Amino acid sequence: MPAHLLDVRDVAKSFPGVRALDGVTFHLDRGEVCSIAGENGAGKSTLLAILGGALTPDRGVVALQGSVRHEYNPRTALADGVVIAHQEPAVVPQLTVAQNLLLGRSRAERASSADIVERALEDVRLMGFPLNRNDRLATLSPAQRHALTIARAFAFDPKVVALDEPTTSMLEHNVEHVLARIRELAHERGVGILYVSHKLPEVMNVSDSVVVLRDGKVAFRSPIGETDTDEIVRRMVGRDLLRFTRDHPAAADAPVVFSARGVTHPRGIGPISMDVRRGEVLGIAGLVGSGRTEFLRAVIRADRGCSGSVELDGRRVRVSGPGDSRRAGIAFIPEDRKGQGLVLGLPAFANVAMTASGEFSTGPFTSRRKQRAVARDAARTLALRPGNVELKARQFSGGNQQKLVIAKWMWRDSAVYLFDEPTKGVDVGGRYEIYKFIDELAGAGKAIVVVSSDLPELVTLCDRVLVMRAGRINSLHEGAGITEHALVASAMGQNGGFNG
Amino acid sequence: MAEPEGAVRRGRVRLPAVSAQALGIYLAAVAIFVLLGVLNPDFLTLGNLRDVAVSACINAIIGLGVTFVIITGGIDLSVGSIASLVGIVSANLMVNHGVTPVLGLITGLVAGMVCGLVNGGLVTGLKLPPFIATLGTMSVFQGCAYVVTNGNPVYSVPASFVFMLNSYVGGVPTAVVLVLIIGVVAWLVLRRTVFGENVIAVGGSQETAWLSGIHVNRVKLGVYALSGALAGVAGLVLVARINAAQPEGGSPYLLTAIAAAVIGGANLMGGEGRIAGTLVGALILGALTNGLVLLNVPSFYEQIVTGAVVIVAVAVDQGAKGWPMLRGRRTEPPAGTDPAKPADETVRADAR
Repeated sequence: MPAHLLDVRDVAKSFPGVRALDGVTFHLDRGEVCSIAGENGAGKSTLLAILGGALTPDRGVVALQGSVRHEYNPRTALADGVVIAHQEPAVVPQLTVAQNLLLGRSRAERASSADIVERALEDVRLMGFPLNRNDRLATLSPAQRHALTIARAFAFDPKVVALDEPTTSMLEHNVEHVLARIRELAHERGVGILYVSHKLPEVMNVSDSVVVLRDGKVAFRSPIGETDTDEIVRRMVGRDLLRFTRDHPAAADAPVVFSARGVTHPRGIGPISMDVRRGEVLGIAGLVGSGRTEFLRAVIRADRGCSGSVELDGRRVRVSGPGDSRRAGIAFIPEDRKGQGLVLGLPAFANVAMTASGEFSTGPFTSRRKQRAVARDAARTLALRPGNVELKARQFSGGNQQKLVIAKWMWRDSAVYLFDEPTKGVDVGGRYEIYKFIDELAGAGKAIVVVSSDLPELVTLCDRVLVMRAGRINSLHEGAGITEHALVASAMGQNGGFNG
Repeated sequence: MAEPEGAVRRGRVRLPAVSAQALGIYLAAVAIFVLLGVLNPDFLTLGNLRDVAVSACINAIIGLGVTFVIITGGIDLSVGSIASLVGIVSANLMVNHGVTPVLGLITGLVAGMVCGLVNGGLVTGLKLPPFIATLGTMSVFQGCAYVVTNGNPVYSVPASFVFMLNSYVGGVPTAVVLVLIIGVVAWLVLRRTVFGENVIAVGGSQETAWLSGIHVNRVKLGVYALSGALAGVAGLVLVARINAAQPEGGSPYLLTAIAAAVIGGANLMGGEGRIAGTLVGALILGALTNGLVLLNVPSFYEQIVTGAVVIVAVAVDQGAKGWPMLRGRRTEPPAGTDPAKPADETVRADAR
């Protein structure tokens, strides 16, 4: 039996607190275009990193034409003919098109460069982007750079090419040309292509087959002709639900305690207005890049150039920066715990006390005793493990780091909690505790906003869910209307008919 | 229930704030003193140790201010020029304009602080990188120092001024007393005030500090003002020591003061720095200068030794942290897991 072009067998990879891949098996043949679909965090990026040699799997093998790969590093992967074209084009803006095409290639490979550059330029032209070999990348649009990145991936006779969201910056009519060229390249040159995209119409258009990843496992694999977008969406989201029910759902007639009015962010987000009632958990769904994080940052004015206003209990509060929003009682728990939520080199109690502005002071001096007492109190409430607040923040697992960030705001008794991806990279047990805590906050009459890419999380946790798309609110879902399917459909572009 | 500091909890003693890493610098200092003492017994006499302490004072005072700046992740290259400028301004006021020594002292302190505020304004207002901002003001303040007296030194400052900063109380030099006082206050400010905690937070992760509601710009303004004020104090001490003000008097102390802070454990990437470490760093540099003279080593070699000590100290410090810059192996999910965030936020250099 002839070996497959690419064989991935039982590949597993864990990071502290996260099982990113858990026994992934599939194969790819010459000339085949296989789409890899899955939600954020399903394991797509980890899979590509392993194929590209950037990561070594904990278990399992990757074989090319029957020969098992022994060593994982980017150079051997390239030598094996496996090329990963990343979502962010890896190009040097100061260099020309030709120089970028040859970047990192050895002298031997460059010997035939005239031919290779011409061929790549022809590929780019066929994708609808006529480029000159001497154009500097800095002068090109993002779409042109993406096209060049695709052509570059095919330039040195690869066997396997993985394309990660190659069309995000392109307009509809360009995408058709690009997809057509990708299919031709696969067939003409016998290349196996892995195509990663959130855009399901593209997946249906370009692929021969589809593999759906969910929680690090292959949830579904099918020839493209035997399935449809509906089924793919269902397989993407249909994970085992964490069994959690809110003890404190919001009362429908509860008064509005937090309002955003015409909030905008300079990255083309908004204007967005919304109300959150006392004890309510309002979810915000949407694709990565739809402006959810920017909206939260605009509320607390974390970036320059934001506008709009914020009302607490119907009264407008002046917020010109995070210091003001802290004073007003608005807590922001950012997505990037390590870079934005904590100072990793400081002890847990110092992190917890970081939101203080003199509350722990006696005269001119702060009291570590008070800081520790408050931190220990919060650690107990949140079931922080280990409960030792002397440990440095970096010594805690992802879920417990998340609890630390929450603890920073909890002792202040903030009135509004803005959570950005509260359970990203948190294991099931930690998730449960964080959900429980959010529910208790709601029970205590706080107003809560949860941005999440984890749809079951939004379904489980929220009283209402807004879906954002391209910087605007696309739809509002309440009660029985909060289904994963409805949220995905709206996030991916079906008009929900909401004019917020 | 909160226990007093240092209490035994769950079988673990809460150690005072001397980590193993910080211990290294104290051991190194002791080793250097013992070595110099063995090579030349005159080194360890009381009189000579007093000279060592006095010679370390200016580096210590400037170094303490720079330590605050370095902890925020910044740098202040203008401290030498500020010391020169303050020295010449104060001396000129006292000698040529009849200002009283106390007023001259206060004027110097304020002038130093104003220079620091200019630096802070450039860094926070114009968003200039601290290196560039203070590289510029280094030249500007030096130029101002020349302008004040047309480049001429100012001689014979009032005896009462010299008495304040260059005499002895109970056999201890007043400059050393001053350094100890500044050191204690600096430690309290850094470790026991909201401002100090904010300084450390800003240096540890500016974005975290900002999102925690800390007024990052105010903190930065504060550290540059502090650095400028202390550089001014050092300039005054220098004037008192040589009984005159030279328009370039402070410039040799720029790099040695930064070296003292770095030897003492200040991390130019921000977030780390120790008051006691900087003092010991200054003491080591003073001991080397003094010891090499006693050993009749030509003075040109002093710079070579000083540079080597800085390199060794930082190398050992980095070694204690496990050479983070060499450990490229990622232990976190690959960048791009979340395309909305730039990759460099996912994998940070200080992530373990």
